[in-house]
Amino acid sequence: MSLEAAPAAAPSALATKRRRRSVLLLAGPALLVLGGALLVPILLLLLQSFVVSLGYGQLQYTFTWSNYTSALQDPVYRSIAVRTFSMGAITATTCLVLGYPVSFFITFRLERARNLALFLVVVSLFTSYLVRLYAWYTILGQKGVINTALKAIGVIDAPLSFLLFSRWAVLLAFVNVFLPFTILILASSMQSIPGELLENSRDLGASPMQSFTKVVLPLTTPGLVAAFAYTFVLTSGDYITPALLGGKQGTTLATIVTDQFIAFGNQPGGAAISFLMVLVFAAVYISVSQTRRYRGL
Amino acid sequence: MRRGRRSWGLLVYSVLVFAFLFAPVLIVVLFSFNRTASLTFPFEGWTLRWYRAVFASPDYRAAIAASLKVALATVAIVAVIGTAAAVAVTRYSFRGREALRSILLIPAALPGLFVGIALLSLFIRVHLDLSLQTAALGHIVYTLPYFFLVASSRLLRFDPLLEESARDLGAGWFTTFRKVTMPIIAPALIAGALVVFSLSWDEVLITFFTIGSQNTLPLVIYSRVKQAVDPSINAISALLLLGSLVFIVGIRRYVVDLQQ
Repeated sequence: MSLEAAPAAAPSALATKRRRRSVLLLAGPALLVLGGALLVPILLLLLQSFVVSLGYGQLQYTFTWSNYTSALQDPVYRSIAVRTFSMGAITATTCLVLGYPVSFFITFRLERARNLALFLVVVSLFTSYLVRLYAWYTILGQKGVINTALKAIGVIDAPLSFLLFSRWAVLLAFVNVFLPFTILILASSMQSIPGELLENSRDLGASPMQSFTKVVLPLTTPGLVAAFAYTFVLTSGDYITPALLGGKQGTTLATIVTDQFIAFGNQPGGAAISFLMVLVFAAVYISVSQTRRYRGL
Repeated sequence: MRRGRRSWGLLVYSVLVFAFLFAPVLIVVLFSFNRTASLTFPFEGWTLRWYRAVFASPDYRAAIAASLKVALATVAIVAVIGTAAAVAVTRYSFRGREALRSILLIPAALPGLFVGIALLSLFIRVHLDLSLQTAALGHIVYTLPYFFLVASSRLLRFDPLLEESARDLGAGWFTTFRKVTMPIIAPALIAGALVVFSLSWDEVLITFFTIGSQNTLPLVIYSRVKQAVDPSINAISALLLLGSLVFIVGIRRYVVDLQQ
């Protein structure tokens, strides 16, 4: 061992030991909670996805792949999976498209009002999710705000029933719920762009459009990707919104998992589907981290 | 900064987006004061009738109490274990520190459904009856990452030299924490606690699977919405909003911090 290898202020063995004990004491309780109330339950769920269900919560502990194979082979599940993930992707994309100009405006066009605008976005983010769903329910319903208004001015005779209980209602509510989050992520990734960079690109003769596509857009790619992933995962895993606003078209993978667990007591079946969902989510998260690495950001 | 025609376009567009974000909720609040039960404009008069109905209803009162119990228990536990974990990650260097940081953030990346069914299957296996306590456990897991983020970002932004000087002057670790660290990070911890409160106050996805026969406020709303139009839902929704927004307005000063 060379002398240089020893750091100048090498901590004594005792100090190292004491430090390790402090870390353990400080982080221990949090790790214990996450271990006992997240890791253990997830492992148990994984285990259950490989055993045989006898229905009504009864399990037979013999190993089987059948929960996975039957979920993957079921044509109904497949079409519901396509519907679920495409709804997630459409919601996430819509949020990005609608939110990007707002974040751009807040970051680059507002000065004194910037913090107020950001605060309003945070307020909307923390506005009860369930109340917002209920709000759309009252707006779009048979006796809702839109139908009664249209009837009052004589545009329609009978209430429009397609407003509520449709994929459009679900999309509308999802966008309403996840847009504030998208705007915040995009705004914070725009804030990290130095102002001089934009001025420089203008000075070098770039048109506003060019400095947008060559400077702002590439630098906000990590924000775009992160916002997409987060919205995609949380909307694809939601069962409350489709159940309240989706009607018959509202069945998603999350609804199926819920039904398997609560209504049919088929935990292995529900567990298998939920792990297949998590695989998709993990794939999305991994590709997100790949984009970041590729960009070197 | 030039305010060209494009900026005006962006301004109008942004105002429209904000209207889209806030209008639905404002409509609910408005109708909670409407004298008749129907959802029609113009109003035929104002009333507090629906609020009185809420406070007179034993169901709603029990739900408010249940929500408060779960949220307060969650805040108390998350504040203690979250602060300790944040100190460990920001004040000590050790192998696996980055891993620890990522682990503490994991629950925020998982859909509530997944956390909910995982906890439910644990409770079933160990024959633990579902109750407000089991629901609170779910809320603790769900809100821990958010509190940890707020606390650790505050700890990262203040100079550890202050703590070191206190130590050099002979203060023990506890005295240092109580007299130096705590007063500096206390406002951020309060902000974090308020964030946790409002997340818990509004949580449905995990609660649905982990709660027993007593329902929290959001679950009561969820189960009632599907029944007939009931204006007291407007009033209870407005109360739910008030519960989470009072706290957010309370932490306004920190909101821009949280941004970064």
